[in-house]
Amino acid sequence: MSPTATDRAVALAGAFARWLPEQRWFAGKHRSIEAVTPVSAVPLGDVQPRLDHLVVEVRYATGEPERYQLLVGWRTALPEKLEHARIGTVGSHVGFAGLWDDELADLLLGALAGGEQHGGLVFRPEPGATITRGLPSRVVEVEQSNSSVVFDEESILKLFRRPTPGANPDVELNRALRRVGCPHVAPLLGEIGGELSGAAVSYGMLSAYAANSADGWAMATASVRDLFAEGDLKADEVGGDFAAEAHRLGAAVAAVHTDLVTALGSGQRDADGHAELSAAMIGRLADAVRTVPELARYAARLGAEFTAVADLTAPYPIQRIHGDLHLGQALRTPTGWLLIDFEGEPVKPLAERVRSDSPLRDVAGMLRSFDYAAEHLLVGEGADHQLEYRAQEWAARNRSAFTAGYTEAAGQDPGRHRTLLRAYELDKAVYEVVYEARHRPAWRWIPLRSIARMLGFEVPPPGDLPSA
Amino acid sequence: MSETTLRRPPEAGRTGPDDGRPDIDDGSYVTADGQVSHPVPDDFRSARSLPADPHWFKRAVFYEVLVRAFNDSSADGCGDLRGLTAKLDYLSWLGVDCLWLPPFYASPLRDGGYDISDFYQVLPEFGTVEDFVLLLDEAHQRGIRVITDLVMNHTSEAHPWFQESRRNPDGDYGDFYVWSDADERYPQARIIFVDTEESNWTFDPVRRQFYWHRFFSHQPDLNYDNPRVQEEMLSVLRFWLNLGIDGFRLDAVPYLFERDDTNCENLPETHAFLRSVRKVVEDEYPGRVLLAEANQWPTDVVEYFGDPDVGGDECHMAFHFPLMPRIFMAVRRESRFPISEIMAQTPAIPSGCQWGIFLRNHDELTLEMVSDEERDYMYGEYAKDPRMRANIGIRRRLAPLLDNDRDQLELFTAMLLSLPGSPILYYGDEIGMGDNIWLGDRDAVRTPMQWTPDRNAGFSQANPGRLYLPTIMDPIYGYQAINVESQLNSSSSLLHWTRRMIEIRKRHPAFALGDFHDLGGSNPSVLSYLREYRGHAEEGDESSPEIHDVVLCVNNLSRFPQPIELNLRQWEGWAPIELSGLVPFPPIGELPYLLTLPGHGFFWFQISPRDEVTS
Repeated sequence: MSPTATDRAVALAGAFARWLPEQRWFAGKHRSIEAVTPVSAVPLGDVQPRLDHLVVEVRYATGEPERYQLLVGWRTALPEKLEHARIGTVGSHVGFAGLWDDELADLLLGALAGGEQHGGLVFRPEPGATITRGLPSRVVEVEQSNSSVVFDEESILKLFRRPTPGANPDVELNRALRRVGCPHVAPLLGEIGGELSGAAVSYGMLSAYAANSADGWAMATASVRDLFAEGDLKADEVGGDFAAEAHRLGAAVAAVHTDLVTALGSGQRDADGHAELSAAMIGRLADAVRTVPELARYAARLGAEFTAVADLTAPYPIQRIHGDLHLGQALRTPTGWLLIDFEGEPVKPLAERVRSDSPLRDVAGMLRSFDYAAEHLLVGEGADHQLEYRAQEWAARNRSAFTAGYTEAAGQDPGRHRTLLRAYELDKAVYEVVYEARHRPAWRWIPLRSIARMLGFEVPPPGDLPSA
Repeated sequence: MSETTLRRPPEAGRTGPDDGRPDIDDGSYVTADGQVSHPVPDDFRSARSLPADPHWFKRAVFYEVLVRAFNDSSADGCGDLRGLTAKLDYLSWLGVDCLWLPPFYASPLRDGGYDISDFYQVLPEFGTVEDFVLLLDEAHQRGIRVITDLVMNHTSEAHPWFQESRRNPDGDYGDFYVWSDADERYPQARIIFVDTEESNWTFDPVRRQFYWHRFFSHQPDLNYDNPRVQEEMLSVLRFWLNLGIDGFRLDAVPYLFERDDTNCENLPETHAFLRSVRKVVEDEYPGRVLLAEANQWPTDVVEYFGDPDVGGDECHMAFHFPLMPRIFMAVRRESRFPISEIMAQTPAIPSGCQWGIFLRNHDELTLEMVSDEERDYMYGEYAKDPRMRANIGIRRRLAPLLDNDRDQLELFTAMLLSLPGSPILYYGDEIGMGDNIWLGDRDAVRTPMQWTPDRNAGFSQANPGRLYLPTIMDPIYGYQAINVESQLNSSSSLLHWTRRMIEIRKRHPAFALGDFHDLGGSNPSVLSYLREYRGHAEEGDESSPEIHDVVLCVNNLSRFPQPIELNLRQWEGWAPIELSGLVPFPPIGELPYLLTLPGHGFFWFQISPRDEVTS
């Protein structure tokens, strides 16, 4: 076996180039890989099976290179159940995706529990955290840019696949919220951090696992299905009514906002700030109209809404916020709602994600999500006036329950900043139109319909009209 | 068995017509010097005993039966003890282990018999104490136990104790009740029957004082600060235990004592008295049980089990009240969280104790233990007609509550039989009986048991006009459509299905004795849990074999088919066997275990080591 982790990583370079494009979190699937080279290679423990922590740089035929965090396990013989994780062979050893190996995943827990340091890697338990070892683990790869390992029902280790210099907002905000005792986040148990090319970087975080939980999207869509199945009952009459949950969720979001102010303070956005925000929204709109021509008919009115933001003269409070809040980022547990994934919108650069912003952006994100939950079953179904009407009834009921819950807990109604809240919502909808046009074209009708509705246009049917 | 086999020869001087003393069937009486005299157990025979088993109640299937409603042997239009005795074979066939009879004592019947005027006498239309002993004996012969309600908190105003107390404040019974010159004491005690009572105090024109009552004003509370009251109540207990009864459901236990500056519920004095009751049972009648009726949060109810270090030293069992409305909510919401929430808030109970759980009983669907918002919701969902509501609850039977939907009836019953606690079935629900919301008070759910499609549903030979309540006659739930006889003849009936499920439950001690572990899962509409029991096949019997029984229950609370991925890594290499048909399912691997369920479907699996499945 090669003597150093770096040698082993170099020896696997060719295999990486074949293996990476098959990974869900790999962003360069449609680019052609020129080379994969290790930037950092740290062996974790020297007993069999081994685990190497790598950061590799992927260079492409064109465009900017990207960096990825990999955990490579090494065994002389790969058990059959790990065969799917095989990356390649070096001499008599097989290199494989190490997270899938219970023993190696537990090694990471051990390093965290012991506050170990390996090369440039620092495993740091949070003060007073209890980290239970020796549990069966499973890998969850549903996210775009992370991989997670769940340790039975105790904890979840989230690894950021694309390490970025600077403090990770997910770790930072969870740590701050734990410090002030916020009950609406899963307690942070530890962080894997370190230095990469001279800058501090966060590689992963360990949190308590909300074992018995389901996300808000699954809950809300179950409610919508129930409503659609009733012949003649209204949203407030059916058994699956979600309004009480939406109300509690609103209160939870408000409590998190309040706790973030307690932990990290607040500021104010002045007229210049509003002008800047307005310009950013108008800029995004211009890009969006170029990508999705169907937006063009709404562009003038949208522009006017965004311009109105620049006219706001009174200062508005700003603070650290979630940044990418939607129903899928909320977990219902037996004791209440938790918010997860405080990373902000993944497509934005880190510097932008850690900036203070109005909490109305989070509120707008959740309001948009209720619209999505209400309408997603209509996609591709053609026009059905009754269902469309009831979908909107559901959305209106739950949006208002959410807002009421938020208002009760926050002590003030987010709807009083109407101009700003509408602008955030419309801005989010514009972003969604572009996202859907690229990834799920049939779904672009959801945000397009919302924009039309908010601006008082005739609402288009929830699908492409059959061609004549 | 002939009706005379249990009757003792009359004792000289006890029952003779000329001695001026009443017949024993007349129960208690007041002597010339103002003493209330009660019968003693020696006046009667005792029923045969069942083998002493200190844990029987932990695995028993209970069946609540109203004597009045079950079977009429005397053709007077009212069910009676002998009628019930004649139906024991049916209950034995169904798999019932213990009957719970609401009060059958002498009573003016202004509160369904919970207003007792003589603890030592059977309500004449139900029969006699002798008849009760006969029922006990016949039940025990079939391995069925019998418990009944004991209302300790209060009596009827017609009880001779109260009559003496109001007449003679300085007499022996003057302090048997809680009297006061004013109606202001204990202002923090809530009024329980908010729709009928304005105060917990009522003025008595005879004694010219106010008396305390937590329930109806015709039910004065006994004064437990008087040691003689405590002794009298222990005598009542001993009387029935000597006859062979297997235990008591202690009605309204939280309210026995009153103290200033408290809400007069769950006081330490109440617990101390319950410990003394338990000691009597433990010392003199081992194997008999006390079941607490305390409509409180589980965290408060556990207090009624007593000291966990000795396995519990107050009541053996207590009702788990909030679970039941949560089951209804969860299915209507298509979300497991109403159930998961209440299970997460349910504390561990002492080793010698068990919860009693139910879907419906003779009272309304109790909504005291839910929030206002949830109560509004339950009214909206399950009681659209205001007549369906009573006090703070809903007066419906299970089948009409569920729109007579067979899938939901099965799902609800499956949860009742698999969630932690001993299940209590309500008479008639095993055949899906309906209710009659046009009857007053809580009588909607107390109509005659439907045995056959014949006259009076086979319940009584009386003229239909004489029945205590009319039989259900509507086209869906009427006795011509829903009755025991026709369901016995159809192997796909709800009755046969219920019997099979009870049978399966009894084959697996994990259902009764196992730990409960909520498995969660990403689909909010599916409630999954593991029940795991490790111990002796006969709990507490060291000579019985050691077993490890694991049962997995998966319930789809949604009307739509649902997938669920379960984290069963702990059982990797083991295999689920579906319990109704013993169908082996694929073994559990490293990945989450995927199941799909039809709308309102459920699975019960045994989790077995794989070699046991393949061999």
